[in-house]
Amino acid sequence: MLSIKDLHASIEGNEILKGLNLNVKPGEVHAIMGPNGAGKSTLGYVLSGREEYEATSGKVEFQERDLLELEVDERARAGLFLAFQYPVEIPGVSNMEFLKESVSAARKERGQDPLTAAEFLRKAKAACEQVNLPLDFLKRGVNEGFSGGEKKRNEIMQMIMLEPTLCILDESDSGLDIDALKVVADGVNSQRDGKRSFIVITHYQRLLDFIKPDFVHILADGKIAKSGGPELAKEVEASGYAWLEDHEETNA
Amino acid sequence: MSEQIDQAISREYEAGFVSDIESDTFEPGLDEDVIRRISEMKEEPEWMLEWRLQAFRSWQKMTEPDWAHLGYEPIDYQKISYYSAPKSMKDRPKSLAEVDPELIRTYEKLGIPLHEQEMLAGVAVDVVFDSVSVVTTFREKLAEAGVIFCPISEAIRKYPELVKKYLGTVVPRTDNFFAALNSAVFTDGSFVYIPKGVRCPMELSTYFRINELNTGQFERTLIVAEEGSYVSYLEGCTAPQRDENQLHAAVVELVALDDSEIKYSTVQNWYPGDENGVGGIFNFVTKRGVAEKNAKISWTQVETGSAITWKYPSCILRGDNSVGEFYSVALTRSRQQADTGTKMIHLGKNTTSTIISKGISAGNSSNTYRGLVKMGPNADGARNFTECDSLLIGDTCAAHTFPYIESANPTAIVEHEATTSTVSDDQLFLCQQRGLDIEKAISMIVNGFCKEVFKELPMEFAVEAGKLLEISLEGSVG
Amino acid sequence: MSQWLANVIDRASSVSDWLSPARQEALTRLKTTSWPTRRTEEWRYTSLHALANLTLPETSTVKVMAEAPVVAGLNSIDIVFVDGQPTTDITSLSLPAGVTIHSLATADEAVQQQAQQVFNQVKPDAHLFGMVNDALAQQGVFIDIAEGVQVEQPIRVVNLVSDGVESHNRVLVRLGDKAQTTIIEHGAGQGGSMNTAFAEYVLGTEAKLEHYRFALHGEEAIHIGGSHFKMGESSRLNSTIVGYGSQISRIDTDVVHAAEHALAKMNCIYLLAPKEHFDLHSVIEHVVPNGTTEQNARGIVGDKARAVFSGRIHIHRDAQKTLAELHNRNLLMSRGAQISTTPALEIYADDVQCAHGATIAEIAEEDLYYLQARGISRKDALIMLNFGFIQELVSQMPNKALAAWLEPLLRERFATMES
Repeated sequence: MLSIKDLHASIEGNEILKGLNLNVKPGEVHAIMGPNGAGKSTLGYVLSGREEYEATSGKVEFQERDLLELEVDERARAGLFLAFQYPVEIPGVSNMEFLKESVSAARKERGQDPLTAAEFLRKAKAACEQVNLPLDFLKRGVNEGFSGGEKKRNEIMQMIMLEPTLCILDESDSGLDIDALKVVADGVNSQRDGKRSFIVITHYQRLLDFIKPDFVHILADGKIAKSGGPELAKEVEASGYAWLEDHEETNA
Repeated sequence: MSEQIDQAISREYEAGFVSDIESDTFEPGLDEDVIRRISEMKEEPEWMLEWRLQAFRSWQKMTEPDWAHLGYEPIDYQKISYYSAPKSMKDRPKSLAEVDPELIRTYEKLGIPLHEQEMLAGVAVDVVFDSVSVVTTFREKLAEAGVIFCPISEAIRKYPELVKKYLGTVVPRTDNFFAALNSAVFTDGSFVYIPKGVRCPMELSTYFRINELNTGQFERTLIVAEEGSYVSYLEGCTAPQRDENQLHAAVVELVALDDSEIKYSTVQNWYPGDENGVGGIFNFVTKRGVAEKNAKISWTQVETGSAITWKYPSCILRGDNSVGEFYSVALTRSRQQADTGTKMIHLGKNTTSTIISKGISAGNSSNTYRGLVKMGPNADGARNFTECDSLLIGDTCAAHTFPYIESANPTAIVEHEATTSTVSDDQLFLCQQRGLDIEKAISMIVNGFCKEVFKELPMEFAVEAGKLLEISLEGSVG
Repeated sequence: MSQWLANVIDRASSVSDWLSPARQEALTRLKTTSWPTRRTEEWRYTSLHALANLTLPETSTVKVMAEAPVVAGLNSIDIVFVDGQPTTDITSLSLPAGVTIHSLATADEAVQQQAQQVFNQVKPDAHLFGMVNDALAQQGVFIDIAEGVQVEQPIRVVNLVSDGVESHNRVLVRLGDKAQTTIIEHGAGQGGSMNTAFAEYVLGTEAKLEHYRFALHGEEAIHIGGSHFKMGESSRLNSTIVGYGSQISRIDTDVVHAAEHALAKMNCIYLLAPKEHFDLHSVIEHVVPNGTTEQNARGIVGDKARAVFSGRIHIHRDAQKTLAELHNRNLLMSRGAQISTTPALEIYADDVQCAHGATIAEIAEEDLYYLQARGISRKDALIMLNFGFIQELVSQMPNKALAAWLEPLLRERFATMES
């Protein structure tokens, strides 16, 4: 459903992704790990279309469409969701309104009828409960005054409401204690329906105890250096990323 | 059928202030003679002419304020024509098909219903028959309540005592250069009178002054709310106002007697014309209200457009416990300029004022808030709260805040805050990643920014104002 | 035109020294500058009536030996001017390495060259009294801190003016890259003295300046001056201005962020006893990106006194990522007290964080009651609460010796304000 071929991407003239390849089939969960600066977040931004990140060469196909040709919101409406590492605040715009608008845009794209106010509220309530956020937070500004954990849970809540086809989670576990982590993981797992795919970007293996991946990739120096099954994550936990340097040298 | 229409038309003009014999428009120039002719055209009583002449003589001795920083050519007052008759039936478009399609498109986008479109476009009355009957029922309801709402020229003739009592008491003829000019040559405007204890049964809107289809150059409005009464008045409309007149100098006076409340809302959309210019419309408005004991005056305004505006709705909080409020959204884009703000003068004890000003600048525009909060020495226990926020969209616009705060009373409290913010790339990216296109994202953020002001507008206006912002922001980003 | 200004122009025409080119320029502009009235925006709230036709001699007939105020534990290097004339022999001062101080009147050519890089290069051009000072200030000092030198001892320039004397004084300071120092400007005038005192500071890259200006003049004095700063890249400024009011008391302070990543923290305290007038005008110019300014001005205004505050923040088009904040808080002590505050923002860049606030408040009755309920007299309670408001800024002064000296002074003054 997502096929990335030899993707090169740079920001401010610095090349970060240097020929990345990845294939994600429907229903699969791929974990992306790697040392800091390797380009993990860059991958998320490039796929979602953030302006400062320029895809300089390579091909990305999403559901048989050329993803790189589409605008940010077009990609979103096409079913791509990015859960941000540092969600921004938008005071003055309530969470409720924001959700309503984005759910409405998504449903319209999919040819579905808009939700009635009652239906929407019901869904929102259920989603809130799932991520342990009180209902009244809907009245507050988007992420306004939210703690780090609340912001991450808000991202998952949006994911639940928008029903995307591909979810990219950019370090959704960073800064969370074990309980918050479980909430996030439960939220993500509840959305695994065999058709929806996930790219879980994380620095630590811990999250992957709760969101069991089908594949684990190590992103180092702008490329996938190694791919494997879930046991690869355990290897990383045991030996860290230093072994990568040796690995690169032997491959050079 | 056509007989009825004819009768309807002639009834409108029975006041006779349109004389088909006289020329429609005066030649440019201003002297005492011109003023006499204006007064004659309006069939005014002698005292009104005297009042005008005195204003004119004062004006001649005054100097025009220096607006060098606005960068415009000085106005030659002798090159302006000071009177022009309302368009006669013959000159009006016969149907919407004859009206500028751009205008119609805007009306549609704003969701303005068809018959109102016709009325706004000045389409000849045989097509707006519906509107005439709407107006008639409206007038009946007001008459029942004892409310007077008519053109000011009509009030001068029919209710001279009331007009004499209050005209010029809030904005004296010598108050400023443009007020003096207006006092001498005003021709259109509203007169509203709400009797004691009456709550005006409906929102009064300038829509319904169909006798006055001219956009007045020199409008004069006087609203008097007697003890314990209430009125909500709407000026302007979201539809773009075309104008060939270069100069507008209007005066609005609000008299709020003990325990009364006057709510004055303005939604103004100056027709933007082309992308390049400041349209050359100079809009100088002196708007002021005096609030007596326990009275309340609220000014709410939403403005967009290319006029160079000098407008500072003010409240003189004379009576103890009186309340003044100012809520404003000013949006500028392209190369437009807005210079607006308010003056709250606290004279009485325990008076309170609230100022919420939201400026939005996009493109190469510049948006300035200029305000004065003054606590007089007797304003024991008075309070002011001011919040001025500027939202900058893009990196070529400007936002300025110049608040003047003066206090001479130790128990008066003033709290003033100003912030600036921008629609950040991060915020836009978040919205887009959730499937909202960039225009929708901006309009949502801008609406959120203006929320506090919009909720003060009468309902229909609020909806229109939101749409107006959306349209005005179109194409201003990216 | 005022008689006083006409006299200034007269006198200035006969001043001739190495600063003459700059003085000439100032003089030319003075000749075409009109005397400020209430309609002049910059002087809107401060009347210059008392000065307009004043004629004062430049020297005192009564030799009053005034001395620099003693501040326990300050251990500063003092340079004292009395009635405009230096009473300190600068050449005999024992200065730390890397610090040079020269009298403007006796500067040699090498010093002149360096001083000219500061003279009138920092303060804004259009200030009338700045120009007067340009034309007439023959006495003053040029202080230079060499690159990398961190000066422990504060350097204090003391400016004392006697009753009925007019004087003009100038301070020029240059901090080399990575230099650090503390400079104190201390001004005090007796009786009907008239004084202009301007100081200009140029901070090099990563330089750090701790600055104090005390304007503690008697109520009949006329004092007009300014402290102006030009920030170098990543430089740091911590400035505290403390002012009493007087017949005419006006201080301008400006900070220009001419290079990136500089940080300026400006605190200002004013305490006005009955009938005094004090006017503080400040302009912060952010010309380049990434600058930070934090300004806090607090004042208490006594009976029939008047305080004027004007704080403008101007963010230029290219100054993205600026952080600028200005807060002015005031207390009015009694019915005759007046305050006019005008914080202004001129913003041309969008990616900035800029805010200002201005408040005029009163001491809450509940707070008073609470203290009284704990046995504190109403009088003392008022002092505690009101003073606490000012005390917060005093305690932020980095130099603790100065803070310890200042606090009781202000407390005492405050006690006289309670009507």
